[in-house]
Amino acid sequence: MTNLNGKAYAMNAITPMKPWKTPLLKLLFWILGAVKPLQKDLKNLSFIHFARWVCVGRNSFPRLSDEQPAEELKYDYLIFFSNFNGTWNQYIDAFSAVLYHGLDAIWIWSEKYPGSRPVTEFKRYISLVQFDTDYYYNVYPHSATNDVKAALRVQDALAKFARTSQSLSVGEFGRAWLEFQVTVAPDLGTTGIAPVGT
Amino acid sequence: MGNVSGGTYGLTILSPIIEDDRLDICHSMELRWYLSQLPRDYRSPFAQLSSTYLARLVVMDDVVFVGHPACQEHLKSRYLIFETNFDGDLDTYLRRMATETQEFVNAVWKHCVGFPGTADPGAFIGYMKKCQIETTFFFADVNDRTVEATLDALKTQSALAHFMEKHQGMPAAWLQREFGEFLEKLRQAPALRRGGEESRDIPQEKRRHD
Repeated sequence: MTNLNGKAYAMNAITPMKPWKTPLLKLLFWILGAVKPLQKDLKNLSFIHFARWVCVGRNSFPRLSDEQPAEELKYDYLIFFSNFNGTWNQYIDAFSAVLYHGLDAIWIWSEKYPGSRPVTEFKRYISLVQFDTDYYYNVYPHSATNDVKAALRVQDALAKFARTSQSLSVGEFGRAWLEFQVTVAPDLGTTGIAPVGT
Repeated sequence: MGNVSGGTYGLTILSPIIEDDRLDICHSMELRWYLSQLPRDYRSPFAQLSSTYLARLVVMDDVVFVGHPACQEHLKSRYLIFETNFDGDLDTYLRRMATETQEFVNAVWKHCVGFPGTADPGAFIGYMKKCQIETTFFFADVNDRTVEATLDALKTQSALAHFMEKHQGMPAAWLQREFGEFLEKLRQAPALRRGGEESRDIPQEKRRHD
């Protein structure tokens, strides 16, 4: 089991859904994709690199040979994959505290979903439907999502400063440098090995 | 399309794993053993696939029974889940998998039903697309930069922090000269290693703090 790589945690969860509910959930996701402000909370949490929900129809599991037995399932399945920073408990707590409306709207269609509040029942459900990762690769294991976003801001600010400071006199450069430092200082936290989580 | 967010592609593959009762060690176990030995740092095959942000491989043994009154049901095959997030288009990525990481791809997917090998990249692409499941909703927090640009930004951030720390309180004339040299050094500095160094496997008490 290797759910962790550096600062990222790979979560997989699968939940059964009655097939008639799947189109409704797909419609909900379509709205979530089309109306960007609805993703505001997910973005503001700022500790998820990538996440996805995949609806797998009961007849959609790939069958590549006649020798492979055909699946005979009653349920469709919703599979959730997330790449987040922090510990499992922090993640579930944050979801329950901030994203409870959105989460409930997504998982209410799944069998026996207890709701994201109170968090104890929610955690029990996620523990039940989660399964472990066998191999996990992370291109920047020392960097959290916020580190990446901060680095991109620094990169842009430095490129601008390098461009605009070329023709400055010594005195002007000194003042501009101070301003530049103040601008980028909040984004210069060092990256490195993650603390040991609990 | 659900698989794409900005410039980032979210690929989800479900490959059925071969079931053979005559074997002492089943394919899924062999696969898990192989994956457990595969390097996860700069030596990872995904570090060679330079457009990969994060990727995972998971052996899914069965679906989950959540309790009564839900029905209990089981899969007839195990599935290898391949979930990856990369910049660029799907065909290029799959072709690179087949041509640049053949050994890894063959070692993993030889345990899967219908895998055609990598000798014909077109056949491999076709096979992977048959196993692809459309992503219903894909969220990418940063989706407007490539992996290369992101690593470059992380390198810049680290270098600039060191430069500022080292040059606190320096006279402006000196600083201006040094800054020009800093930009030149930054341009020439090697890129960050994809997948990171081995050092993250070092126990915390023995890690270097710099």
